[in-house]
Amino acid sequence: MSMNKLISLQEAVSRFSSDGMQYASGAALPVGSDAIVFGRELLRQKRKKLHALFHCNSQQLNLLAAAGAVDKAECGFSGLEVFGFANGLRRAVESGRLALEDYSNLSMSLRFLGGAMNWPFVPTTVNIGSDIAWRSAFAPDTYPATEKIPTVIDPFSGQKLGALSPLKPDLAAIHVTLSDPEGNAIMIGTEWSRFELSRAAKKVVLIADHIVDTDCARQFPNLVRIPGVIVDAVVWWPFAAWPQSSPGAYDIDEKHMRLMNEQFATEEGTARYIDEFVTKTASIDDYLAAIGHDTLERLQKGASAFLLDPYRKWIKPREEINALLAQNVSKGDAR
Amino acid sequence: MSDNLHYTRQEMMAIATGREIRDGELAIFGVGLSMLAGYFAQAYHAPNVRSLTEGGVFGSTPVGGLPWGIECNRISSNAVSFTNALDALGFLVASGRCDVGVIGAAQVDKHGNVNTTGIWGGEIGERYSLPKTRLTGAGGANDIASGARRFVIMANHEKKRFVDKVEYISSPGYLDGGDARKRHGFIGDGPSAIITTLGILRPHPQTREFELSSWFSFSNIEEIRANTGWDLKIAKDAAPTPEPTGAELVALREVDKTGMLRKK
Repeated sequence: MSMNKLISLQEAVSRFSSDGMQYASGAALPVGSDAIVFGRELLRQKRKKLHALFHCNSQQLNLLAAAGAVDKAECGFSGLEVFGFANGLRRAVESGRLALEDYSNLSMSLRFLGGAMNWPFVPTTVNIGSDIAWRSAFAPDTYPATEKIPTVIDPFSGQKLGALSPLKPDLAAIHVTLSDPEGNAIMIGTEWSRFELSRAAKKVVLIADHIVDTDCARQFPNLVRIPGVIVDAVVWWPFAAWPQSSPGAYDIDEKHMRLMNEQFATEEGTARYIDEFVTKTASIDDYLAAIGHDTLERLQKGASAFLLDPYRKWIKPREEINALLAQNVSKGDAR
Repeated sequence: MSDNLHYTRQEMMAIATGREIRDGELAIFGVGLSMLAGYFAQAYHAPNVRSLTEGGVFGSTPVGGLPWGIECNRISSNAVSFTNALDALGFLVASGRCDVGVIGAAQVDKHGNVNTTGIWGGEIGERYSLPKTRLTGAGGANDIASGARRFVIMANHEKKRFVDKVEYISSPGYLDGGDARKRHGFIGDGPSAIITTLGILRPHPQTREFELSSWFSFSNIEEIRANTGWDLKIAKDAAPTPEPTGAELVALREVDKTGMLRKK
């Protein structure tokens, strides 16, 4: 019998998050898979002083930074790719409200790998010789920033290398396309750093677009890159990465990507956005209604929709998911 | 703008960048212009180029327009493999396996160092202060600049962008020039060209200072020097860049279906 770890989004945030924690998310680049709904719920529960570990900025970090919920962030990339600069994050950094420590896209992966391996440091031949190594937003008075990426000597060749600090986030909220109730998860699209992140974090909560039967995992065990044994909880939330994309499940919502970022350019816009798309979208039904029926239909019919075809027969209907959720509430697991 | 031309300056820049990529190479492209240049090369003269994105998307071509990013459905619908960043940027780029990368720059200096982190409006000084304008950070460009055998920089040719020394090195070129990269222990050899909206700059073999190698037909040496923030030297063999051929333009516009490079 496999274990049922399905809980509500509200329960997951209340149980696994706290003010000031090291929070990792931003699963797959600024426009792809990301547990953005987890960030919306963090705001509804008024979490603050977060230390964000985002491999790349995403609309989730952009939102959390715009709302003033993040004090510190570490990122490899802090823009929104073709959608430009992340206005919320940018405003927080330029005003001095948020200290943003720069790394690169490989060094963030390497640091999660270091955390997963429980290594004291990770040798690196990237980030060396650049201001990423010499400058630290967390230690602005130290130059060069000898604590950030110190130089070490390769004991074999005598060559100089950089040393990256490992990351062990208090919590990783990881977006996946499919998960069974136990947390055996399949990611469609690039993993980005979700494999090593899921092993580095102290607690792992999966946010899945679809809940599938465990038979799906048994059919494609090679594709289950996050096995249930390292997962603490599973949350079902359709279109969880909206307005970003989840390959196979739904395309990018270009209009909302732009609207969201435009709103974050000002305090007033941010407040409006939070009112309309955070406060009023606490339930799945209200959330889907805010996106709009036609948009939902269109986004699901993108060119990559065929990627989901092999898994469709195992996708659980809503009634079954609700029954699984109810089990955990009645058992008292959800506290 | 180049109103009397049958192509835009942006298209010339993309074609000139694409010409830097050779058939059969293992190549990594960033998002936006560099991806268009890369896929143009693949469509036109380098059909066997082995391309990847930094998220680990292999074997795909964009469908339905320029991808919004490197993990986008527009390059997810005909990929043959999805892996991850550790694989693409680590095993294949930082390791030294990747032949060529293409990166963009907000600011670039005479030694090919790239700044995409912030604008301070002068030297930062000993204390790390807040940038006046925060930019996107290094992303995968630092990893490509550190590890790829060579890389090509694309930048709009404006005096404020072409500076003597960048305020912040996000992605390393030749640092202070000469053999600085060797002393630091970099795996890759550094930038081979800066392709601009006006022409092409290449590094001097010893000093590693970038010199004018070629200018586009709609530009000239004077215009380029006037738009460069250091005393730009002219390479001995400097010459005009061949104009795009009709076939090159057809191939590029097939890749740039939504006309991103034709916007004035």
